[in-house]
Amino acid sequence: MTPAIELRDVARRFGQRSGLFAARREVRAVDGVSFTVPAGSCFGIVGESGCGKSTLARMILGLMAPSGGDILVDGRRLSDLPRRERARLIQPVFQDPFSSLNPKRAIGDIVGLPLAAQGIAAGERMRRVAEMLERAGLRPDIAGRLPAQLSGGQRQRVAIARALVLRPRIVVCDEPTSALDVSVQAQILNLLAELRREMALTIVFISHNLAVVEHICDEVAVMYLGRIVERAPVDTLFSASRHPYTRALLDSVLVPRTGLDLPDVGLGDLYPDPANIPAGCRFHPRCPRADAACATTTPAPQRIGDRMVECLLAAE
Amino acid sequence: MPETLLDVVGLRVRFGGAVEAVRGISFTVERGETHCLVGESGCGKSVTALAVMDLLARGATRTAERLSYAGTNLLSLGERGMARLRGDRIAMIFQEPMTSLNPAYTIGSQMAEILTRHRRVSRAAALDRAGDLLARVGITAPGMRLAQYPHQLSGGLRQRVMIAMALMCEPDLLIADEPTTALDVTVQAQILRLLRTLQSELGLAMLLITHDLGVVAHVAQRVSVMYAGEIVETAPVGELFRAPTHPYTAGLLACVPVPGSVRRDEPLGSIPGTVPRLASGFRGCAFRDRCAHAMAACAEAAPEHLAGEAHRYLCQLPPDWIRDRAA
Repeated sequence: MTPAIELRDVARRFGQRSGLFAARREVRAVDGVSFTVPAGSCFGIVGESGCGKSTLARMILGLMAPSGGDILVDGRRLSDLPRRERARLIQPVFQDPFSSLNPKRAIGDIVGLPLAAQGIAAGERMRRVAEMLERAGLRPDIAGRLPAQLSGGQRQRVAIARALVLRPRIVVCDEPTSALDVSVQAQILNLLAELRREMALTIVFISHNLAVVEHICDEVAVMYLGRIVERAPVDTLFSASRHPYTRALLDSVLVPRTGLDLPDVGLGDLYPDPANIPAGCRFHPRCPRADAACATTTPAPQRIGDRMVECLLAAE
Repeated sequence: MPETLLDVVGLRVRFGGAVEAVRGISFTVERGETHCLVGESGCGKSVTALAVMDLLARGATRTAERLSYAGTNLLSLGERGMARLRGDRIAMIFQEPMTSLNPAYTIGSQMAEILTRHRRVSRAAALDRAGDLLARVGITAPGMRLAQYPHQLSGGLRQRVMIAMALMCEPDLLIADEPTTALDVTVQAQILRLLRTLQSELGLAMLLITHDLGVVAHVAQRVSVMYAGEIVETAPVGELFRAPTHPYTAGLLACVPVPGSVRRDEPLGSIPGTVPRLASGFRGCAFRDRCAHAMAACAEAAPEHLAGEAHRYLCQLPPDWIRDRAA
């Protein structure tokens, strides 16, 4: 079966100037990423801020062209798809429902806009908007209101309704619950899980929250400085990760249980800088296990069991 | 016998007369302890901190039966008296270090100013102390950092600078409002470890405001759970997590997914509805519209019950309601 999404060595570079007379530096935000997402599955991407996960999301959505490599959706090159066709296939849900909805438009217009852009007539549009609002757990009378009159959770439901109103095959969610309170986060995650089953969606789910990713994803990729350093089915990743960075991320999570000491993950104070990627293994300056070889030899991706990992020490 | 540093009784904050953001809360912070105020956005936890520091926006009014710091009555202290206390005896750190640092001044001059304002010291001596404190909070090459501007530092480093800055005058009480929320998980643990080390070395008391129950479980000694402007439950941290008694606290704990113990095919626990905004004069329990156990009496009052020696909560249900339901 053709995978829903396939990335082949995708890269994105940015030119950056830090001052008027400063030399141009090159930021490698995404630096050679390959993976496939089977149709109907949920693929999670985790990593710290600046690791390139949002840049990757924008490229999969077709909002930004890769500087290298290919993105295939349904076996076709994303760059060859006309905009309208792409919109019927892939839709986004962004982090902040306060800035992703037009504050001057009524909810019904916001959710109906993707339909209007496809040239669907007003009567049919209203019917489908009302149906979608209901599936997203909103009352139909909300269609006449403005975003400012809704709570954060309601707004994120509107964003989800807008993403799904065209019945796309793929949804890319970039931190969809990070701006929400925990009690509301749970409502939204449950809604996404339910709609995924009903509509047979393929989901790319980007988050810094590992527990949320564990709850909703089938497979998870861990990004560090523009590369995927480990990728595995969710149970493998959470129970038997091989990359020291994945371990550090998992150990950093503060679980709501008392009597536990604060974790000391040993990553040091060096912060990763995508404009200055270290030689050898890009994680070695922060790695608690790094040895001399890690500073000079770039690890190649290797398959161990059902996981892919880029680490010279992973086989031990 | 613990010494009470901050003593708050019956604190209320109104905005524009109609909305009451803090509705008569009482709590204490003892010398050397960490007391966490936890709740969701809009529950009044940050407003509480600003009210204690007398930093509320214009148009907000603060009333209290008692508001004292180490025996000093803050209600009658006046603007100049409060200005002497702020940054000296009571220091504060905020969520977003980029917006609380002045982008136009170097780290060194911002840190030194705090000391020269509160103490009779030279600028050179103040800069020396600033350098010492930067080293203390784990910043390498403090001399170079003193000459840098906030935008030249990463988020984690800026938050360390904020902490060092708060310590310039050796305060007794640190009010930290979501100090790690804007940081990556890997940096969050480092910052919390740092705060804990400094706290035990300096005997610092901390009022920590957060929405993150994971943070609470790891750093608090006592916890107060806020909902719609009230403290609905307060308890020693172990007791709160072992036996949450207010239905809101129990519901909130059920919402948090815990890595490694996630049941993938089951929905997460969630609380239906959203937090209400309440006008002054509201009667009864503010949580009743979202509560699965609400009864007619909840519209009248939410009486205080004791579930343990230092474990209080506001609800109609008796302390053993959870055990009764489980049986």
